[in-house]
Amino acid sequence: MRTSRAVAVVGLGLLLAAAPMAHHAFSAEFDIDKPINLRGTLTKWEMINPHSWFHLDVKSADGAVVPWMIEGGSPNQLIKGGVTKKSLAIGTELIIEGYQAKDGTNKGVGRNILLADGRRLSLGGSANPLTNNKP
Amino acid sequence: MNHRWLVSVSGLVVPAAVFWSATMPVAGQARSAGARTNEKPAKAYTAPRTPDGQPDLQGIWTNNTFTTLERPKNVTKEFYTAEEALEVVRRLAAQEEEQTEPGTVADVHYDFTQFGLDRSQEAMALNLRTSLIVDPADGRLPPLSAEGQKRAAERAAERKSRGGLHDAVQNEPLGARCILMDRNGPPMLAGAYNNGYQIMQAPGYVMILVEMLHDVRIIPLDGRPQLPPNVRQWTGSYRGHWEGQTLVVETTNLSGKFAFQGSSENMRLTERFTRVDEDTIRYQFTVDDPSTWTRPWSAEVPWKKTIGPIFEHACHEGNYGLRNTLAGARAEEKRAAEEAAKKGSSK
Repeated sequence: MRTSRAVAVVGLGLLLAAAPMAHHAFSAEFDIDKPINLRGTLTKWEMINPHSWFHLDVKSADGAVVPWMIEGGSPNQLIKGGVTKKSLAIGTELIIEGYQAKDGTNKGVGRNILLADGRRLSLGGSANPLTNNKP
Repeated sequence: MNHRWLVSVSGLVVPAAVFWSATMPVAGQARSAGARTNEKPAKAYTAPRTPDGQPDLQGIWTNNTFTTLERPKNVTKEFYTAEEALEVVRRLAAQEEEQTEPGTVADVHYDFTQFGLDRSQEAMALNLRTSLIVDPADGRLPPLSAEGQKRAAERAAERKSRGGLHDAVQNEPLGARCILMDRNGPPMLAGAYNNGYQIMQAPGYVMILVEMLHDVRIIPLDGRPQLPPNVRQWTGSYRGHWEGQTLVVETTNLSGKFAFQGSSENMRLTERFTRVDEDTIRYQFTVDDPSTWTRPWSAEVPWKKTIGPIFEHACHEGNYGLRNTLAGARAEEKRAAEEAAKKGSSK
């Protein structure tokens, strides 16, 4: 079934790759040459537009605590999906895989935000667009 | 590939049928495909009325879509079959859910699915059309007029004279500066997320709250004239009236600063909102701008009822991204200057 669908898609020859556009160009803000992998505890979650920001305390190798800020998605969609500020407790341990800001400060974008046990932090809604409709 | 998407595909048929009556070509009707869908079928839906007697458009809607404004070049027909249209949605949703290759520019981004930013997590009316443009029949923008070509070249030259995109805040796109985005328009078209609209009606007015940027259009219905021609606004001057079941909104007095598809300040926009069933508004618009295009053109997209409330999108307040982008550009310039100096001194 899935194979025949895949063939049908190729046959249709449709479609432009519609990459979702956010409110700004991420590659201008963050540096592809500065991948980061952080483990820290959540100290604050700013649910603000146009992007939410996760504030983390990250322990460096020498034991010093370094604050980081990680950019995340728009809160509007999160709230629609039932996610509130209470959904992620302060003190939660997070692992961030992402990229650092181009200006070299302790800011970054989270490619993946994982819980301490490695589970992906899923903040989105569910289902598909054609069924995820009015209440 | 995200499995929850595949699992949920089997559930598509029932909800999809609810709104296809609005967008699906009906066999045996008029030959023109446009007419097939733009004309109401015989059993026309009658919208409920507001207390003051207007057809009721109130509620929270989304124009979320995967359908592009212009028809993809390798597609020649005006409508997909239902099966093809579903395949389009499935394929594009899967693309949005896939992660990119680490270490590539495309990857400098959080995963859309975990933040709920992919379109597959929002309501969507399935559109069988292969483009939002319905006229011209080829689904493509008409050619630019001579004046339109000249202005496009002048705009490009002027833009270039101001330097790089990140040289000054004024050079950044309007969206990055929280001024206007495609959801605001006019005309109002979807982006990848935050495609919500709330319509409220009061005697003499229709109000449309645009989720993105929290922009509000208050449209008077009392027949007052447009603003004087010398008053120019980013989103123009707009006035509405009812034609039967359809709210018609005429927009003029644009400033030309938000140049929709390269349009001029002379653009006249006519938008039509028709509630075609309980859960769907048909949104149509016609762009008439002889200063830009050789002929007027029209498009349509279904709006689907969705969940609320609409959370305030206070864009400026949290816009760290703009500062970070400019700071990043300055840091790169500094680095380049230092490297150049080092090279110079070692010679």
